[in-house]
Amino acid sequence: MSVLRLSGFLRKLPAEARRSSALLLTADSCGSCSRLRSSDRIPGWMYYRRHYAAIPKKSDRSKQLWERSQLIDVLEARIQQLQSDVILDVKHSKVEFLKLPHKEKRPPAGKSKKVQPGEKAEPPKAKQSSKKGAAQTSLSSQKTHGSRWSEKLDREKSDRTKKYTRLQKKFPKQVVNETVEAKSDTKQQTAKRSKGKKMLPGTSTKIIFPVKKSTPAVSKETVETAAAEKLSGEADVAEFKELYQIIDQCSLVETESVKKRDDSETQLSACCYLEACVYTGDVERAQRFLLLHHRNLSKRSVLTVRFYNTLMKMWAKKGALPQISKLFVMLAEAELKPDAGSYSAVLECMGRMPESSTNLIERCLEQMKEDGLCVDDVFSQCLFRLDERDMVLKAVRDGKPDYEPPTSAKSPQCSLTLVKDFYAQREDVRFPKMDFELAELQERFKQQLAVEQSNTITIDSVEAIKPVTENMTKMRKLLEVQYGHWQRSLLQALRESKQVLKKGRLRNWKTDLYPLLCVLHDEEYVKIMLQTLENLPPTGDSLVNLAKELGSRVYSTFCIQQKIQMVKKMSHIYNSYAELLAKDTESSNVLPRERWIELEAEMSAGPSLLSVEASWPHMLLVQLGCFLANLLVCELKIPSNILNPELDNKLIPILYHMYIFRNSRQIGFIKPHPILVKIQSDATVTKLTFDSYVMPMLCPPIPWTSPKSGAYLLTPTKLMRAVDGANQHQLLLEKCQNEDLHAVLDSLNQLGNCAWKINKPMLDIIISIFNDKGCDKLDIPPPLTEAPEIPRFNPHDQSYTIEEKAHLKQEIMKARKKYGEMHSLRMDALYKLSIANHMRDEIFWFPHNMDFRGRTYPCPPYLNHLGSDMTRCILLFAEGKPLGPTGLDWLKIHLVNLTGLKKRSSLAGRLEYANSIMDDILDSADNPLTGRGWWMSADEPWQCLACCKEIASAHRSPDHTEFISCFPVHQDGSCNGLQHYAALGRDVIGATSVNLMPCEEPQDVYSGVAQQVEEFRKRDAAKGLKTAIVLEGFINRKVVKQTVMTVVYGVTRYGGRLQIEKRLKEIDDFPKEYLWDASHYLVQQVFSSLKEMFTGTREIQNWLTESARLISKSGSTVEWVTPLGLPIVQPYHRSRSQLVRSNIQMLNVQISYDVHEKPDTMKQKNAFPPNFIHSLDSTHMMLTALYCYSAGVTFVSVHDCFWTHPITVDTMNKVCREQFVSLHNQPILQNLSEFLLQKYCSGSVGKTNKAFLEFNRMQQLLARVPETGDFDLQRVKDSTYFFS
Amino acid sequence: MAVSGGWRLLSLAVCGARVPGRSAPVRVFSSSSRVYSSDSFPSAQWRRRPLSRCELLDLGSEEENTRRALTCKRLRRFIIDPNLARLVTDHLSHDLEDTNAVIFEVNPGPGVLTRMLLNCGAQRVVALECDKSFLPDLQVLEGDLDGQLEVLHCDFFKLDPIGQGSMKLPAMYSNKLFSQLGITAVPWTSDVPVKVVGMFSQRNERNMLWKLVYALFERQSIFRYGRVELIMFISEKNYSRITAREGKYRDYRALSVLFQMSCEVQLLHQVPWSSFLTTSKSKNGNVSKSTTVPNDHMCLVRVTPRADLFSSGITQFNSSTLMMMVKQCLIRRAAPLADKLNAWSPGCAAELLLGAGLSEEVMVGDVSPDQYRRLFELMELSDQFSQSWLYTEILENTLQSCGI
Repeated sequence: MSVLRLSGFLRKLPAEARRSSALLLTADSCGSCSRLRSSDRIPGWMYYRRHYAAIPKKSDRSKQLWERSQLIDVLEARIQQLQSDVILDVKHSKVEFLKLPHKEKRPPAGKSKKVQPGEKAEPPKAKQSSKKGAAQTSLSSQKTHGSRWSEKLDREKSDRTKKYTRLQKKFPKQVVNETVEAKSDTKQQTAKRSKGKKMLPGTSTKIIFPVKKSTPAVSKETVETAAAEKLSGEADVAEFKELYQIIDQCSLVETESVKKRDDSETQLSACCYLEACVYTGDVERAQRFLLLHHRNLSKRSVLTVRFYNTLMKMWAKKGALPQISKLFVMLAEAELKPDAGSYSAVLECMGRMPESSTNLIERCLEQMKEDGLCVDDVFSQCLFRLDERDMVLKAVRDGKPDYEPPTSAKSPQCSLTLVKDFYAQREDVRFPKMDFELAELQERFKQQLAVEQSNTITIDSVEAIKPVTENMTKMRKLLEVQYGHWQRSLLQALRESKQVLKKGRLRNWKTDLYPLLCVLHDEEYVKIMLQTLENLPPTGDSLVNLAKELGSRVYSTFCIQQKIQMVKKMSHIYNSYAELLAKDTESSNVLPRERWIELEAEMSAGPSLLSVEASWPHMLLVQLGCFLANLLVCELKIPSNILNPELDNKLIPILYHMYIFRNSRQIGFIKPHPILVKIQSDATVTKLTFDSYVMPMLCPPIPWTSPKSGAYLLTPTKLMRAVDGANQHQLLLEKCQNEDLHAVLDSLNQLGNCAWKINKPMLDIIISIFNDKGCDKLDIPPPLTEAPEIPRFNPHDQSYTIEEKAHLKQEIMKARKKYGEMHSLRMDALYKLSIANHMRDEIFWFPHNMDFRGRTYPCPPYLNHLGSDMTRCILLFAEGKPLGPTGLDWLKIHLVNLTGLKKRSSLAGRLEYANSIMDDILDSADNPLTGRGWWMSADEPWQCLACCKEIASAHRSPDHTEFISCFPVHQDGSCNGLQHYAALGRDVIGATSVNLMPCEEPQDVYSGVAQQVEEFRKRDAAKGLKTAIVLEGFINRKVVKQTVMTVVYGVTRYGGRLQIEKRLKEIDDFPKEYLWDASHYLVQQVFSSLKEMFTGTREIQNWLTESARLISKSGSTVEWVTPLGLPIVQPYHRSRSQLVRSNIQMLNVQISYDVHEKPDTMKQKNAFPPNFIHSLDSTHMMLTALYCYSAGVTFVSVHDCFWTHPITVDTMNKVCREQFVSLHNQPILQNLSEFLLQKYCSGSVGKTNKAFLEFNRMQQLLARVPETGDFDLQRVKDSTYFFS
Repeated sequence: MAVSGGWRLLSLAVCGARVPGRSAPVRVFSSSSRVYSSDSFPSAQWRRRPLSRCELLDLGSEEENTRRALTCKRLRRFIIDPNLARLVTDHLSHDLEDTNAVIFEVNPGPGVLTRMLLNCGAQRVVALECDKSFLPDLQVLEGDLDGQLEVLHCDFFKLDPIGQGSMKLPAMYSNKLFSQLGITAVPWTSDVPVKVVGMFSQRNERNMLWKLVYALFERQSIFRYGRVELIMFISEKNYSRITAREGKYRDYRALSVLFQMSCEVQLLHQVPWSSFLTTSKSKNGNVSKSTTVPNDHMCLVRVTPRADLFSSGITQFNSSTLMMMVKQCLIRRAAPLADKLNAWSPGCAAELLLGAGLSEEVMVGDVSPDQYRRLFELMELSDQFSQSWLYTEILENTLQSCGI
């Protein structure tokens, strides 16, 4: 075959000949394959269409069949299906065609099967075709079905191609000419083909791929003599066949993947719909849905085995075996293979039937075997909600009395080089225990369970301490009465609209929300709606956000409700698990994750801990949310004279749906009525209601054992955070080998197991300021009463001039903006403080998860150690440790670090400074608000104050080495991003400037850059540049710091300018009119001085950027794996919009994570370097966490800031440096390059010349790892200021 | 006397001043291939029209103008064809006689229309060109004439930008422009002080229309100086938008209501897209598609602000309320107007609609611009609405916040 030969030929050609041969390749391949493919000039999708034409007949038939086969045996159906499978394999003949009509004519569901009916449908039309060549080839397509004369034609054709190849060997040039002619001949086909290709870029590669496989045959062919021609002709025939299949597959692939996106999305929502029906026991609706889709062939493609299984399970609960048999028949009809889930349903059903015959069970088991499934699969693959497992086991034991379900084999250890030691060598290691007794932990578990079971938690607001005024009581009473009304009217409205929905015809399930409105009690929905109303900001919120919030609240309530089934089992497991953590049991070297898995395997009976139902897709949540939002807007009313009884009494809505206009877009907005806002703010609500996951946990979190389970007890949590609706991360995680993730999971568990408590004195001080008037300087947001008054504007007022009015308008706008900002800041602080206050006497835990780059975050959103200075200062380790000999010194150094004053002094210098200001420190600690207030001028005043207090206590204790401290001391990486770059590039200068190299005094990269910039400025000022002259005396460390820090994380000139502008604005005497020019000038200088200082960094950054660009251009998203085995994919795609219809408004939701869209090259390329570096710093952090754990050191992190007890700072520092060295001793860039090459360059090349060149370029670039300098990495171990 | 290049019949006023400048045109127009002598002067096409008081400037050869226009790097359209320029000036003949109004020519490019305007007797033309590369040639022309033409580096579409940062040409504040030109504000009801001739930029036509309509209602930017008239080419698509009448739900939008309420929109002529020279490389010349009209023409329209716009009820301060009202209403045309009104002031709809002579079930898209105006005036009189909380929201919706 010419295509094959040519593609092989191409590789051997010298570079200069490539172009011509590539031309030849395209020409000839078109000549042969596309002619074959679209033989009768019907493009691929037409085959598909013709199938549709056959639909009505078939569905009739299947309907009859279905009606007749009321009680067909399961086995019979199965046998039939197996038979047909065999037949299909043997190739169809006409006789068979008649025998099994309903099998033959069924529209394709599985790819391989689709191919053949497609071919069969062809011939009649082909004959009509006038062109000789076309007729020939179309006829030849029949050959595969065994007709002799088409075989002959085939051979003729193969002879012709042979001639081509012979000619080509002799006179390559002539061939070019000839193929050019051929090209024009087949222009039409090519055109069609390219059309097809446009629809799906993936297709072309798929065509080529199998061709490449058969290249050995090609080389053989080239040495063949004329005598062997016949033989090779047969070989050609074989190749033709292969090609047919390939081509047909391609056409199928095309049509399929166009539909694919639609499918995966609709499939998921359809699945949720069906499961919700089944969950609510709406048998009729579920049945109707499945039948509707099953009978309509175009809709049937949505269905997968899972749908049928869902219904089977439903019938299994009722013990209705005949119904299940029917479903098996339907499965067969749909040409789907029953999987473990199907058989699990059958067995469950048999288990439930009082008198199931052993015979039947045995036959069923036999049947399973024929399907390539064994009983063990049922237990290992299926999830069980209630007692299904026991029922299945009962049934199986009826058949095989001595059957034992499989106990999960010990999963292999993580074998990554970085953590091999950690897992393999732990005979001597004893992991640390928690400071709790077993019973205490078990008790805490019960408390946490209670919180999560009730789903929401209501706590006192810190403002409750305020004295209650008369007005407040009045307003509170009003509000209470109104809530009563609202609750009732919402309930009634919900019930009414559900009635309407219920009666609605099930024409389009996509808009049918009825089952989703039945999964919870009506009261629950109302509760959720009112809770959302309470949290609505006074300036309103966009409809999309509101809908999302409502939808996801319903979903999480639903999830928790489902999980309540397994509470009992979980309690059992947790109670045993707690033994591992409690201090009053034997210490061990088993990790929490390992213990949990072990226990889960031990107690395998009963429901599974994982949730069975499919998760609701994002769009479904929005749709549901819109429905509820509409109810809110329509139903909630308030008397208009509630505040002013003199007015008329009219019922007015409290929520309004309006639009705001941003550029050319209009955004639906829900705003509360000012009356409501007034009442709410006057009443100063004393109770806050949160979703339970907002609170920190009261017991150690469930260890992450897989990407599907961990963290909270009942609340579903994602291992990897993602944009709402993006699921590619989760899929990727679930796909990878479980043991590869062990290190990541274990480090998350370690971070989550750190117990915390509240620093009460600090909390009290902050609350006192908060409840007074707040303080902007100390970042305690003032209450709205402190907000500037919004002037009232009356357009008719004659007392103002035109200019004054215009000015007034501006003022009003500013004031409103300020008001909105203040409110959100105030609420944020209120939430944090209220939660902290609620937890003031508790000990609590922060379960952790990570973002898509592996950076870890605590799950509770408000109160956590990642928060602002104010939140950090109220958190302490629950466990105390003595200060030890160096602890106090570390505390003092930490204090100086917090002030931000002595950045360039050595540790000794900082300590000395701290000792010299002991007076101020003690004064701050004793009289924080009344004293000299030294702490207030620090960079991080609140943490500074907390530290002062700790130092004072330690200082005054009789022996400070014995002083028990719970205070976390931080060690910060100095410009961590640049540290990783410098280590990657072994860049000596860069490494020195970010403290990888041991130095007497810490190097400060920011000051370095500032100096460099100042030099540039002087030079330009000398040249007379105005901006440079203006800037004299304003360039310092602070101005450039943020930009330098973020440059490594990919900040652009645009963003950098904004940052610098902000800094310049803060300088009071900087002339405002030069802000823009100066910031613009400075950002340029910062960029160029960085370029000068970090050459290696730039090179790596450029390599990463360019690689990402080429990868993205080739149509793939950038993926990589961290040295700890975490798979990462960048979720940036071109956005598309999806319409969500609802009765309130049409919502146009932009989706930028859809994996079926092309990647967004700009984002992919700009984000790759920072994301890659983040994935490295997260790896470093995780490694440090793991090894600190085995060293018995308490460890938590805020990305590149590591926290530990004062006594263990030295140990942590050692581990941190060792792990940095061991991480960078890995050939990280080489590994990345290999991975990328393997991932993106092992496929085949596109056919066009351009694609080929692009591919080549990418291959070369990916292989060209930037060279490294000669920095000795081991030096890091001795560097004091690496992390300090 | 054979003076090559452009000839002008010397009107009495300019007579003396013209003479010394004579040598300059030679330099300019020698680059073009067509050199006229005084006898052989006007080419056939000019001969047809009576030579009035003007002597004519040479328009330059079409090839040369085309070449120069195509050096422009932005997406733009140019009037190169003299016939097209002629057509425009024919429609402007009355305006040219009106000696009080200054003519702003927006983005003249190689200046074909500019010369034609001058040829047809324009008294004062201000050429606002955003592209530096066209400036030198225009400035030479400016030098040749005696104050009839002023050339400025200025982008009409970027007048009064909202963003921050230092102002760089061609962006400009209108007050600076007007004071530079010595144009003072006149009362709204007096005659048109400035006429803007040219064509909308293709890229953000709709945004420009919004910007203009905001400026008009708030009497800001160029409209601070009086009723500035626009005689501009606009795409058929947007022409049909701004002139759509009530009942045509598809096209009848907020922009239609606001334009018709505030301006007289008169269609002067339609010209196919192909008549213009474009720098666009794409086949369809980057013409956006439209589902409702063929959109294969540019429409020359005359947009004259109504003198009586601010006479009853509407002022430049409450007009933003009016605009907000219209925008909120016309998002969905097939929605009852009563619902909208009730949302602002519950229970007031019936009374208001009755007052405006509308039925209670009337749809938003069936209410004419005049009726909207009437409704607004009624709302302004009613206490109910001035207390409506929505009134305060409206403030945020000004020219500044619409971010165009």
